[in-house]
Amino acid sequence: MNGIHDLGGMQGFGPIVREDDEPVFHAEWERHVFAVAMLALGGAGIQVDEMRHAIERMPAADYLTTTYYEHWLHACETLLLEKGVITAGELDRRVADLAKTEGV
Amino acid sequence: MAALPKDMVRTAVAAGMSARAEVAAPAQFKTGDAVLARNINPPGHTRLPRYIRGKRGVVQCNHGGFVFADTRAHGQGDQPHYVYNVRFEARELWGADASPHDAVYIDLWEPYIERAP
Repeated sequence: MNGIHDLGGMQGFGPIVREDDEPVFHAEWERHVFAVAMLALGGAGIQVDEMRHAIERMPAADYLTTTYYEHWLHACETLLLEKGVITAGELDRRVADLAKTEGV
Repeated sequence: MAALPKDMVRTAVAAGMSARAEVAAPAQFKTGDAVLARNINPPGHTRLPRYIRGKRGVVQCNHGGFVFADTRAHGQGDQPHYVYNVRFEARELWGADASPHDAVYIDLWEPYIERAP
């Protein structure tokens, strides 16, 4: 699809900032998202190409204002909902529970 | 597909999982062939970048057969095709102001390209 992800040739994003000694993960939650994506998508028989397409289907403004592992999390939510592995109600309840305990 | 067994996780994360696959049909292109990236705009997943569609390039090599992302993304199976590395001159992509010394090399599945006239 001709989505916002296909950035080749676009201008105005500024220079690519390279970090010295870039860590594999920049926060603990990113490590969790990586593990969840590998195991949940693998366990549900979801191909990596389906995951990439789920990221491509993000609303353009959301895609540009979120980070790499937020894209992964979005894809996990989208695909696990679409495949019927989890329900929207389950996801909403879990997020509400976490909001209480994590104070976010 | 079964869940990834625990004892394979370390290997899978470290080495990745191969996407190579046999293609029964003969290759349609060979090194040195002039090709055009097809001007396709599928609503689903594709790994054909927009900025090369309709552009002319030259096949550098045939990497062999690989499962096809465009079908796997939509539950339509592996449908493996040959993947070619194709060189596109910067001036072909970006116009006369681009450097004559620059080029972009892109790996493309066979359905992404056609023979250049």
